[in-house]
Amino acid sequence: MENLTFTLTKKIVTICLIMVSIGLIAIIYGVVAGSGGERIAANLLLNNYYFLGMGLIGLFFVAVHAIAESGWQVSVQRIGEAMSTFIPVAGVLMLLFFAFGGLHSIYDWTHSDHIDEILAKKAPYLNEPFFYIRLLIYFTVWSLLAYYIRKSSRELDGLNDIKYFHRLRKFSAIFIVFFAITSVMSSWDWLMSIDAHWFSTLYGWYVFMSMLVSGVAMLIIILYLLKRMGYMTHVNNEHVHDLGKYLFGFSIFWAYLWFSQYMLIWYANIPEETIYYYERLHHFKPIFMINIIINLAFPLLVLMTRNSKRVFWMLIPVAVIVFIGHWIDLYQLIMPGAVGGEKAGIGFLEIGITIGYLGLFFLVVFYSLTKAPLVPKNHPFYKESLDYHTNY
Amino acid sequence: MNKYITAYYLDEEKLLKGLKQVKAKGFKIADVLSPFPVHGIDKVLGLRRSRLTRVAFIGGAVGAIVGFGFQAWVFTKAYPINFGGKPFFAAPSFIPVAFETTVLFAAFSMVFAFLIVSKLLPGNDPVIHDERVTDDHFLVIIDVAEDSSADDIRNIEKALQEAGAEGIKYKA
Amino acid sequence: MYVSPIREPLIRGNKDYSQVTKDILAPMAGTPSKYWYMGIALALSAALFGAWATYVTLFTGIGSWGLNKTIGWGWDITNFVWWVGIGHAGTFISAILLLFRQKWRTSINRSAEAMTLIAVMCAGFFPLIHMGRLFLGFFIFPYPNTRALWVNFNSPLLWDVFAISTYFAVSLIFWYVGLIPDIGTVRDKAKTKIRKAIYGFLSFGWTGSAKHWSRHETVSLILAGLAAPLVLSVHTIVSFDFATSVIPGWHTTIFPPYFVSGAVFSGFAMVLTLLIITRKALNLEEYITVNHIESMNKIIILTGSIVGIAYMTEFFIAWYSGNEYEMFTFVNRAFGPYAWAYWIMMTCNVITPQLFWFKKIRTNVLITFVISIFVNIGMWFERFVIVVSSLHRDYLPSSWSMYTPSVVEVGLYVGTLGLFFTLFLLFIRVFPVIAIAEVKSVLKTSGENKNHSEHE
Repeated sequence: MENLTFTLTKKIVTICLIMVSIGLIAIIYGVVAGSGGERIAANLLLNNYYFLGMGLIGLFFVAVHAIAESGWQVSVQRIGEAMSTFIPVAGVLMLLFFAFGGLHSIYDWTHSDHIDEILAKKAPYLNEPFFYIRLLIYFTVWSLLAYYIRKSSRELDGLNDIKYFHRLRKFSAIFIVFFAITSVMSSWDWLMSIDAHWFSTLYGWYVFMSMLVSGVAMLIIILYLLKRMGYMTHVNNEHVHDLGKYLFGFSIFWAYLWFSQYMLIWYANIPEETIYYYERLHHFKPIFMINIIINLAFPLLVLMTRNSKRVFWMLIPVAVIVFIGHWIDLYQLIMPGAVGGEKAGIGFLEIGITIGYLGLFFLVVFYSLTKAPLVPKNHPFYKESLDYHTNY
Repeated sequence: MNKYITAYYLDEEKLLKGLKQVKAKGFKIADVLSPFPVHGIDKVLGLRRSRLTRVAFIGGAVGAIVGFGFQAWVFTKAYPINFGGKPFFAAPSFIPVAFETTVLFAAFSMVFAFLIVSKLLPGNDPVIHDERVTDDHFLVIIDVAEDSSADDIRNIEKALQEAGAEGIKYKA
Repeated sequence: MYVSPIREPLIRGNKDYSQVTKDILAPMAGTPSKYWYMGIALALSAALFGAWATYVTLFTGIGSWGLNKTIGWGWDITNFVWWVGIGHAGTFISAILLLFRQKWRTSINRSAEAMTLIAVMCAGFFPLIHMGRLFLGFFIFPYPNTRALWVNFNSPLLWDVFAISTYFAVSLIFWYVGLIPDIGTVRDKAKTKIRKAIYGFLSFGWTGSAKHWSRHETVSLILAGLAAPLVLSVHTIVSFDFATSVIPGWHTTIFPPYFVSGAVFSGFAMVLTLLIITRKALNLEEYITVNHIESMNKIIILTGSIVGIAYMTEFFIAWYSGNEYEMFTFVNRAFGPYAWAYWIMMTCNVITPQLFWFKKIRTNVLITFVISIFVNIGMWFERFVIVVSSLHRDYLPSSWSMYTPSVVEVGLYVGTLGLFFTLFLLFIRVFPVIAIAEVKSVLKTSGENKNHSEHE
């Protein structure tokens, strides 16, 4: 009989806490070693956004499948739900971070002496009160919807009434609509406004795709860890295959958006737009090239064959590389504007803070996993998900 | 192979069950004709997973190299022209066409390979064992060796009958 | 394979396999109905109008159109983009829905793909006729010539040549590979010798052998895998025609995914328009059920909302950019001389599809039909707005101009509509409109009489 209750062992907690403390040490190291406030702030923003994205994608994964009435994902649905519990944590951290100096060290438009003619035009949108109002709206609604989606999913499981399935779908639909707008807007707020003069209409969707790829990679990694610990035995090759296909397909779609934005700006060659890529190609060239190469080439070439999507020893390395790759993607989105070519780098500060955030993320997710059975047995598509085999 | 026995089923689940029984008795099933692909039949008949995917991959790789290489050759070697101040080797510009040739080559090489190895070509005149095969009949074909006796044939027929097949026919 | 009891059946009426064959082949048998003749007569007269317009264009040049120096692209490119977009639904249904294993695609993919092929033919006509002299079309092919000159691979218009021709070729083989088994069925059911011979020839000697089926499935899957990025690339490249320029309202990075989404949106609208008539006329209501219509309506909401978000993003970024030319273009679109076109577009594309959030509306066939027509109109106006409203106010106010199509341009458009419906009407007589084998393969799990597989 399969073990459906996840127990949070001391070992997991200890490892996570060690990781968190590495993060804290890295921040202290940054202060002591004089890395500069901007660089520390930029790293906190980067990781906070990155792991917030994981949480959002966990929720998105649950919501989008609920709407599409697909069956197979029921077997891994609880992982998505658990990931979504990181959203409020990331929200609180983000708010604290912005309130205690983060905002001013990253965003140029918050300094009245940097406001030029163009930034003055943007002031109705880019001003501090409105920025905070938007942030609060995003996080409140995201967290509430995450709570209600999780709640209906658990009620569906416990009370076994189809009514809760419809409720789950209703909340999912609301979330998808809200997220479609806010994922784009929040990427303007937190990332695009770092290079406050620059603009691109595709930006929001590009960032969303990056988030989606890394979120799916994280879901695969968590699934693997749970299987290693002896849980999730009902998940078979077919489910893993589908997750692998997502990783493969979304990576290509991400590269497509990358190319669309780059090529159009390169082709039209308008200075106010090309400045963005000029910065990246002149001061961050290795990072810029690594980003597109590993995030496209690895998933494309390794996951092209059918078998590689079905076995963990092929899939996990790709998932880890993609996880690192999209961290690098976010790095090249943030650092050139927030820190600049001279001061930025990748050292203990960057790696340490990332490990810290990863530890915190795992702690929250694993803790949430203990709160509900690992499989929603009474989900109307549960049996469908178990009896799941395809020819491709 | 001039001699063979045909029999049919009207339901794919019975077909699969029957095939397994016949196979368990040691008879080799030459082919099954069906109105639509029956899942799980590959395993029973011992069919290998198709290698046409490799053809597609090679075709695609050739297409990508030809597409990209040709454009690069045209603009750096054959006749370099300055277009809008772009470099002669304008890689981003070459990607759309290279992508299209990749897909074109991959798709066509695979489909032609499929038609050729399956001997599906216009004007082919195949043996139609039963016209209801493309409608609702699932036809099983078992080859009979040239030197087999009447007993051998009767054995196969008996095995098929026990496996629930209908309309068993011996054709020489 | 287990299917949850809460799922609605995809095929209504307790059918067995031979009933499926009979039902789907029925429209091809006998003499066509009165309505078919009326339809084709109407479509052919529209095509004739188009033939006249083509004649005028070729013999007097595109001076017979309403274009001028400022507005060099008008209805021709609008129609081109509109038709390519319509084609996208067919590939989306047969490729992307196959990859996502949406079983409901089996009832609609065949006719949607046929629609794709016809729509791409109609689309390809416009760039060619825009050359004014058809023989100039020869120069778009890279062939070795005495001037040692090659085509300009830096030009998005040339990328289009490759994209559209690849798209047509790959869609054609995808469609035909899917058709081969069904042509086999038609051959075996044929009553006359001639019919048998023709379909026998076209069936490539299909027998339904297990090995062939196994390869056929692999090939279909890989073709779907190739067609899915291909369909994305086609409208992406069409959007590059605009977005690589430096014209305000055209040069914006969101164009590629936004055009693709709009294309699928308009394509599904056209599939709905066609299939709602077809299912009624050919008695296929048990195969193309209200469920299918509902599923397509859901895709309409999804893609329509993506398009809506893209409109808003463009408008917002036009303001946010601080670029006064960009902002002027957008304000001019909404409140300038072509504001009527803009608001038709907004109403038809953004507002009316949102009605599909209500289950009552998206399961109502008549309302769906009306909204699908609205979307067709709305998406035509979207392209018109993009093409004309961005051009008619130049950087130099002295070049400002207006554009009205001439009767010749109207004729060309009506002509392609005529061609489209003529070919579609011929298609439903010549080939099975529903993929027979594919429907049979989901009949057990998703038919109305699915109960016996649940005991397994």
